[in-house]
Amino acid sequence: MTALNPAKLRNHTLISCLILFIVLLPWIPLGHSSNYLLRILTTAILYMILALGLNIVPGFTGLLDLGYVGFYGIGAYTSALLTIHYDLSLWVILPLAALNGALWGVLLGLPTLRLTGDYFAIVTFGFSELVVLVLRNELWLTRGPMGLPGIPAPSIFGHTLVHEWEFYYLILFLLLIVLFAVTRLEDSRLGRAWFAIREDEIAAQCCGINLIRYKVTAFAISASIGAMGGAFYARWFLFIHPDMFKFWESILILCLIVFGGMGSIAGTMLGALILIPLSEILRIVLPQELFNARYLVYGFILVLMMRLRPEGLIPFERSRAAKALKTKKRIGSATGKEAV
Amino acid sequence: MDLLLKIKGLSKAFGGLTALQDINLQVESGDIVGIIGPNGAGKTTLFNCITSLYHPSEGEIQFQGIPITARKSKKKEALIRRLTMLFFFLGLCWVPLFWSVFLPQTDYPFEMFLVGLFILAIQVFLVIGLRKFEIWAWGLTLVFLLNDLIFAFWWLKYPHENMSLIGTEIPANFLGIPWSIAALPFSAYFLWQLLHKPVRRLFGFRVGPDAICRAGISRTFQNIRLFFNLSVLDNVKTGFHVRLKTGVLGALLRTRFQREEEILAEKEALNCLRFVGLEQKAFHMAGALAYGEQRRLEIARALASEPRLILLDEPAAGMNPKESAHMTELILKIRENGISVLIIEHDMKVMMNLADRIYVLDYGKLISEGSPEEIRSDPKVIEAYLGKAHAAC
Repeated sequence: MTALNPAKLRNHTLISCLILFIVLLPWIPLGHSSNYLLRILTTAILYMILALGLNIVPGFTGLLDLGYVGFYGIGAYTSALLTIHYDLSLWVILPLAALNGALWGVLLGLPTLRLTGDYFAIVTFGFSELVVLVLRNELWLTRGPMGLPGIPAPSIFGHTLVHEWEFYYLILFLLLIVLFAVTRLEDSRLGRAWFAIREDEIAAQCCGINLIRYKVTAFAISASIGAMGGAFYARWFLFIHPDMFKFWESILILCLIVFGGMGSIAGTMLGALILIPLSEILRIVLPQELFNARYLVYGFILVLMMRLRPEGLIPFERSRAAKALKTKKRIGSATGKEAV
Repeated sequence: MDLLLKIKGLSKAFGGLTALQDINLQVESGDIVGIIGPNGAGKTTLFNCITSLYHPSEGEIQFQGIPITARKSKKKEALIRRLTMLFFFLGLCWVPLFWSVFLPQTDYPFEMFLVGLFILAIQVFLVIGLRKFEIWAWGLTLVFLLNDLIFAFWWLKYPHENMSLIGTEIPANFLGIPWSIAALPFSAYFLWQLLHKPVRRLFGFRVGPDAICRAGISRTFQNIRLFFNLSVLDNVKTGFHVRLKTGVLGALLRTRFQREEEILAEKEALNCLRFVGLEQKAFHMAGALAYGEQRRLEIARALASEPRLILLDEPAAGMNPKESAHMTELILKIRENGISVLIIEHDMKVMMNLADRIYVLDYGKLISEGSPEEIRSDPKVIEAYLGKAHAAC
């Protein structure tokens, strides 16, 4: 454990959010950006949301969750079906999808979170496969492999979203909400309990933390964020299909987190912002016949990361150290002198 | 002096290996009680039994007169209770709701009656499994019974009406939806019971390491178990967990209550750190602390939950004489604050200075107890540590 040099530490979350939300993201649609670019960025931000949601389970609580995409799928189908059959507004659907995700998160979590480590990962993997199987086979509900086409686009205050930039701002807004929620949760009693469980389950228990309860909470919140992402996805892409929610997606989202730094919010977002557009960049850069091998590059990047910077771009420990420093300053200024 | 911790006839066996055998031990409030014994004598196992990390095979542990023994059978009973509630929940709310949403065109059919009967059967089975009269369980079983009786009645009266409830005049929605709406508060109540702490007292004392901490026993570990990637302050704040109340909503909305709690926790955590002499390091990462400091941080974290009794597992292990003298002072200071201490220690010097009473464990059995002086001269103790020849002379 190396001592961290305080001078080098900055609050990454704050800085990266500032950069993202003031400097970078809002202005993109205003120039002559093509729909193509906007679509890629919307995807990237969608994955940022998904990664932020997943981050709660393996990042904060330390449980390997391979079934995250199941909740994403549940959210997408909830949203699509509610739209098609009941024509509900997006603002009703988003919380409903989140609730449905949380419900399934609790239902899956309550019995399985007693498992530890690999066993839990296997169960979640099974869950994601199960979701795909149900989506594929329950024709009466999901139309199975035919997919669900013709989902109406959302409308906001009577205005139907058509342009790419409108969706872009919508997802940016959603990202803000999720980010707001996640940062607040991280910096609370709940977040501390999660971190404690991640660091040492037995010590956490002996500090009075009810393991099952906090694990299930983490799982439910993560699932609801995933489902929200799915709900947006269905209303944006306007077509969903069981194959979109295959196990591979879970691994991709997990990659974003590992790449960015497990447990750190800024790292998670950065990971998504780099890796998702990378796929498109590779589409341009790689020759036609090699295009399908682009995920090899992902694998290569991950191997390099494991070799050079195993804790990710913005490591968890650094972000905690920065937070501690912030607290120190706050307390120091509150008492009128440097506390330490 | 009132009795704080009382252990009666405690045994713990791992398969064929008996780690603890018929342990009787008492801690009075304000005492420092020591446990010594050679390696592998079962000292840490005893701590794990007290903090509910292990389930004792036999015997009872009482804390302030309340039994806190973790039992497998008790867990089973709790599971049966939960299952009962789950089925009530399903039966009361979701089956009719499901029916009326997915099959709105059909009348309340015979199958519904069968489903009700099935749930009722499980209910009765589970309620008998409880082996104890509990009014809510029996009451709701009665509700189910009544429900099925009504169905049976209608079915017998109108056998030709396609098994529907009241001829064909009243569709299922008419029954299903109000039924579900009426059932919702019940369901909410049961979910609340399943999830929420105060009502959970219905189950009696819920045993588990976290409940033990809540009850007022906290501990440190022989091999240091800190949250190494969190700051020192956050470690202690985690110790405050049981004294805070913020939940998910509070954290999201950052209510005034939550903010005040956080500030309080921070202040108290700094106090705790000052108490063990670590306030200079409050904003370092716990993993970056020196070994002795990590031990003290563990104690600070244990103190944060405001325990009545603190269990220290070799607090002075691996320390030099100066550090262990500091540790002795610290433990005396803890006692001055009205917290009783149960301590495992190998360093005899520390132990003789500290303990009011000492229990000696050897191969899972209590071989001696008494004041430090008595222990020092007890031949059985000398034998356990040094062998028979020494005890003779």
